[in-house]
Amino acid sequence: MSARMSPREAVLNRVRAATGNAAPAAESYAQLPRNYIRRGTLDAEERVQLMIERLREYDAEVVECAPGELPAAIAAQLARSGRHRFVAPAGLPSEWLAEGFEWKVDRQLEAAEIEQTEGVVTAAFCGVANSGTIVLHHSPPEGRRILTLLPDWHLCTLRASQVVETFPEYFSRCEQAPALVTWISGPSATADIEMTRIKGVHGPRFLVVILVRDRS
Amino acid sequence: MSHAAAARAVLDPAHAPPFPKAALPVLRNPQLRKNVAHAIDVIQSKRARLVAEKTDWQELRASASAIRAHVLDHLAEYLEQFEARCTAAGGKVHWARDGAEANRLVAGILRDEGVNQAIKIKTMTSAETQMNPALEAAGISVFETDLAEIILQLGEDEPSHIVVPALHVNRAQVREIFSRRMEIPDLKDDPQVLTAAARHYLRQKFLTVPAAISGANFFIAETGAVAIVESEGNGRMCLTLPRVMVTLAGIEKVLPRFADLEVMLQLLARSATGERMNPYTSLWTGVTAGDGPQSFHVVLLDNGRSEILKRKTERQTLKCIRCAACMNACPVYRQTGGHAYGSVYPGPIGAIFTPQLMRLEHAQSLPYASSLCAACYEVCPVKINIPEVLLELRARVTDRERRSFGKFFDPLYWGLRVANLLFSRAWLFTAAQRLGRIGLRFFTRRDGWIHSLPSVGARWTMTRDLRGMPSQSFRQWWDTRPKEGR
Amino acid sequence: MALPNLPVRKDWPQPMRVSLFITCYNDTLYPETGRAVVRLLERLGVKVDFHPGQTCCGQMHANTGFRREAFSQARRLIRLYRDAEYVLIPSSSCVAMMRDQYPGLVDELGDPALRKELNAFLPKVFELSEFLIDRLGVEDVGAYFPHRVTYHASCHGLRGIHLGDRPFRLLAKVRGLEHVSLANLDRCCGFGGTFSVKNAEVSSAMMAVKLQDVLATGAEYCTALDNSCLMHLGGAMHRQFAGMKTIHMAQILASTEHSPAEEFA
Repeated sequence: MSARMSPREAVLNRVRAATGNAAPAAESYAQLPRNYIRRGTLDAEERVQLMIERLREYDAEVVECAPGELPAAIAAQLARSGRHRFVAPAGLPSEWLAEGFEWKVDRQLEAAEIEQTEGVVTAAFCGVANSGTIVLHHSPPEGRRILTLLPDWHLCTLRASQVVETFPEYFSRCEQAPALVTWISGPSATADIEMTRIKGVHGPRFLVVILVRDRS
Repeated sequence: MSHAAAARAVLDPAHAPPFPKAALPVLRNPQLRKNVAHAIDVIQSKRARLVAEKTDWQELRASASAIRAHVLDHLAEYLEQFEARCTAAGGKVHWARDGAEANRLVAGILRDEGVNQAIKIKTMTSAETQMNPALEAAGISVFETDLAEIILQLGEDEPSHIVVPALHVNRAQVREIFSRRMEIPDLKDDPQVLTAAARHYLRQKFLTVPAAISGANFFIAETGAVAIVESEGNGRMCLTLPRVMVTLAGIEKVLPRFADLEVMLQLLARSATGERMNPYTSLWTGVTAGDGPQSFHVVLLDNGRSEILKRKTERQTLKCIRCAACMNACPVYRQTGGHAYGSVYPGPIGAIFTPQLMRLEHAQSLPYASSLCAACYEVCPVKINIPEVLLELRARVTDRERRSFGKFFDPLYWGLRVANLLFSRAWLFTAAQRLGRIGLRFFTRRDGWIHSLPSVGARWTMTRDLRGMPSQSFRQWWDTRPKEGR
Repeated sequence: MALPNLPVRKDWPQPMRVSLFITCYNDTLYPETGRAVVRLLERLGVKVDFHPGQTCCGQMHANTGFRREAFSQARRLIRLYRDAEYVLIPSSSCVAMMRDQYPGLVDELGDPALRKELNAFLPKVFELSEFLIDRLGVEDVGAYFPHRVTYHASCHGLRGIHLGDRPFRLLAKVRGLEHVSLANLDRCCGFGGTFSVKNAEVSSAMMAVKLQDVLATGAEYCTALDNSCLMHLGGAMHRQFAGMKTIHMAQILASTEHSPAEEFA
């Protein structure tokens, strides 16, 4: 091996030598078998019910509301939480910033400032009912990743029309692959000590989901 | 030597004792065996329920196996694509031929960034390269952030499982470690309390340490993205808060497209922890202005993987997605735990991966650490035919040993060579049966059973009796039957 | 591997003939299993041949890494049964060896003529319960065995050749037999061929765990379709005065009121 060959060249040469001169991947990629379930069978109402059931299974609180009632529903949940200082993504609709609470709007807040807040409110990109997964693409109303990580309480709004049944259906909703994604399917958990499941190691320990009953 | 110190001494495959010897102290440790069996039972029962519920489980496995095999067939193309996309998105991609080079690269990156501390997400790859001691030697303090890894780091112990690395440690032992190293005097051994202690201990680290080191569950070639699958949230902390991020992973971790995660994520959580989906999965692409680390580096590691890629049967080893379903299903692992394998990769996958990473110069006993029951193959989400690879490696190890001098002193070697000769002709075989009957008479008791044998036979009779040879073999009886005209 | 879809006839006009491959270890240590197979098949109207040239299928060598030796044993065996219509084997592990490993071994030898012979050979190979249920179409073989029995599924039978519920269907029709289910049925007993001596301590630990489940059934006999597992479990039972015996299922199926099962004297 030449001393002047870069590690990159060395590794790629070894890999090519091992696989031979493979034809371009695209053609055989298209032939790969995909006989798994790619679409769900539940109707819209069943999907939403399943999403709610799975969320509650991992101790998320779920409340429903009609589209026009969303700001009021948010205000009610904020009040119920007993918390006062909240952080909001810069792109959160302003009518969601309920009166009577202290709001920090995230325009590149420092971590220490976010640490001082008690909760965060965001939108979401999608919900996957089979696993109760909330998908964040961190668009402006969903906020930077740090916002749904440091605060202890997360209120997430999810429209019924955003709920799909299966994982493949979520992927087919992505017109292009997103740059940032966080898939949330439960509060942080560990089973490292004697397999005893403990929740809330890092990340929000409390999740409240407002399911908005818009048309699917 | 304490259990922990003993563990640290032996998790280097180049120096670990052979499996039968390494297993002995574990087999004699009821606490450890109980801890391992309990952990496995919990995961297995959860997994079984969720797999039964997933009606397209076999179809998912078939796709996952095909996708991973396809990637390996076109690995150079996908690696180059990943590198180009990641770089275009603001990441810097480095290549390491071996573990030592990877460690040097990581140390160099951190030094160039002006940091001498790093928080770490659990990554088996960094354990494979023995990164932590190398960074410490370079003046960089490394802080593990996974609860299990903290238990092991503070307890000066080594991982024994790739998903639940501290499964061999019980709550009383954890309490002792935390109380001593975190200096908390009145700590209860309740897992909730212990976890809260760890959460508090780590919070400051997450908020202040400027650099993080991670592995990767998957690289996405199409977009240059990296995906990390976790439960605790320390991964999210590490990949969001610091200024500098370094991701180290093997070259085999790449997937073609973002959408291929729809297959992998459904299989991984059920296989690894018996959940429909793990709590947190994160994906990021290069650098995103204003969100997360602004300096992102990927180190792609070979360290023997390209060698494995060369071989037709062994190549499937690289399909592995590190779910640990194989070791949860393995009846051998259940009795021995992970340390007996002398490698950071234990269990069935370790039995095939470790010897190959060592180029068969070490860990030669690992392919034999299996009864070939195939429970691993049955559960593997990417359908690695582990028994097939084990047999291939046994043949390669035997071929090497044949050329060595030591074979002359191995009774099993002679026994098998002689047996082969005897099987080559029926008359030799029957003559051997007759001789054997006479020879074994000496060892056969009045009730027709053999209680102890010499040499290799003693390995049988140490815990089992052996039926004595009946006075007439089957074919001798057959010869006494009246022959029909034919 | 899918078995050929052959028509099953109970009143076959010509006597059906099978060639018995007794296996090296049954021939030497468990001739009573072979005798039971012969008795059983003849009672069902099947004629049994025995090729005296047979020795071993090569499994022990192949599984220990002595592939070169396994080649010659495999080649020899394939040729031996050229003229047989069926090859009957009362051992799942040997059948699994042939179906799983012979193709790879033969390919490695690179002998196209041998490959053809192998392709002709494999469809003829039947494990005992496969032959009874799939080929003869019988579950009730007229057996009588008035004892409490638990069935142990060998790994080769379970995962290697996928016997499924065939053993249970056969046992269910044995008059007088009370079957007790074995917990953790799919867990390996720890024999594993040369594993039992190369890793004797781990093998014994696995056996200890398995034995707990077996003894917990309260059965008089532990049966299986492989004497290899039974040699290991039975050897431990005998050492420990455990109060249970092992018996190959062929001996149960061959047992009748007039001719009770032959056991090791």
